[in-house]
Amino acid sequence: MSAEDTVRTALLEFVTRSFNVAEKDVRLDQSLIDQGIIDSFGLMEITAFIEQQFALKVREQDMTREAFGSMNKMARFVASRIQAPS
Amino acid sequence: MTVVRCQRCLLSAGFPGIGFDTSGVCNVCRDATVLASLEKAIADARDQVSKLFAERHKPYDAIVCNSGGKDSSYTLALAVQKYGLRVLSFTLDNGFLAPKAFENIQRVTDALGVEQITYRPSIPFFRRVIRATSTLPIYREQTLTRISAGCNACISLVNTMALRIALEKEIPFILAGFTLGQIPANAIVFRNHYRFLEDSRRESLRRLTDAVGNEVEYYYTIPDAVLDRVATYPHNINLLCLEHLREDEIVAEVAKLGWRKPVGVDGCSSNCELNTFNNYVHERRFGFSPYELELSILVRKGLMSREEALRKVEDNPSERLACLADGLGLTNEERAGLGLATAPPLGRMV
Repeated sequence: MSAEDTVRTALLEFVTRSFNVAEKDVRLDQSLIDQGIIDSFGLMEITAFIEQQFALKVREQDMTREAFGSMNKMARFVASRIQAPS
Repeated sequence: MTVVRCQRCLLSAGFPGIGFDTSGVCNVCRDATVLASLEKAIADARDQVSKLFAERHKPYDAIVCNSGGKDSSYTLALAVQKYGLRVLSFTLDNGFLAPKAFENIQRVTDALGVEQITYRPSIPFFRRVIRATSTLPIYREQTLTRISAGCNACISLVNTMALRIALEKEIPFILAGFTLGQIPANAIVFRNHYRFLEDSRRESLRRLTDAVGNEVEYYYTIPDAVLDRVATYPHNINLLCLEHLREDEIVAEVAKLGWRKPVGVDGCSSNCELNTFNNYVHERRFGFSPYELELSILVRKGLMSREEALRKVEDNPSERLACLADGLGLTNEERAGLGLATAPPLGRMV
């Protein structure tokens, strides 16, 4: 399993547990906001989860739709930061 | 009608994701990891706060959102007395604050020697916002597990105005008196990155604009001209979540600063008369109180008895609803839709 897959699995587990949504109802390539799964607090919760779970700092410049715009994008962002810490 | 509730906290059968075992205890109370993860989040937030508050800033360290209620009054006292911050107290007067709340704001800010600014938006606009959020599905249901739609509309306005002031005055911290349950545990401290978060608000703001008009943009957004100058966004910090205090202890502390409990408010508010209306609308729509989550956490943490929590959610002076509906300028059609007395009776289901 790649680092990206591992991150995606952990994120998916967090999202389904925290936001009361079934795994089958989470589309991995679409924004969680657009799917109606999270609101602004949800976005903050996911950011905090990423920082705690993967021991990395989400910097202001990381807070973008490119990095957080879907589960796949978040997994890619986190995996890239784990593999190449700044 | 009898509400089925957890026998240990007070979450009701209508609360999202709730289930009860044969003893009538809910799945949240039965989950041993809930309190442990809460305590970990609080400990992490304490660490963050001690690092963030290590430096001092001019002209202010923090803007404090001060509604005049006991929690924001205590937050103001914490900021000044415990953390030694130089703060600016900010109040949004929504037209429904109890007269005593203003007296409390003056007494507490005077006692602490804090500068105070009060901002009163267009009250006809604010009434239209509350009418829209009460009768139309403006916000996502998930948002409304911890807050009523009317309170969410008001607090969003407070947050936007506080952020605008913080950005204009380069104030690094925005403090508010939220308790756990009103906000998620891992949002006790967060970077208020407006552009990052604005996606999550876009849909609800579009629906609010459709219902209320273009003034929504002025009140609920921050202009690009301000955002383009931002070097770094402030942190929002909810200091009260870091304290382990019962309500009577908070009231006793703020009483030393001259705070007095207002009349004309329900059991879950200590400043705003509109809360009663917002609670009514929420309970009618969803079948549970918007305060259940917050109170259930206090019960689980041993800071409030279940009986005390129940007294609070049941203390809703329904005789005030007609007066509040008048104050909001609700039409007969809107009243009928909300199950409030009208003449002549008209039917439009929301």
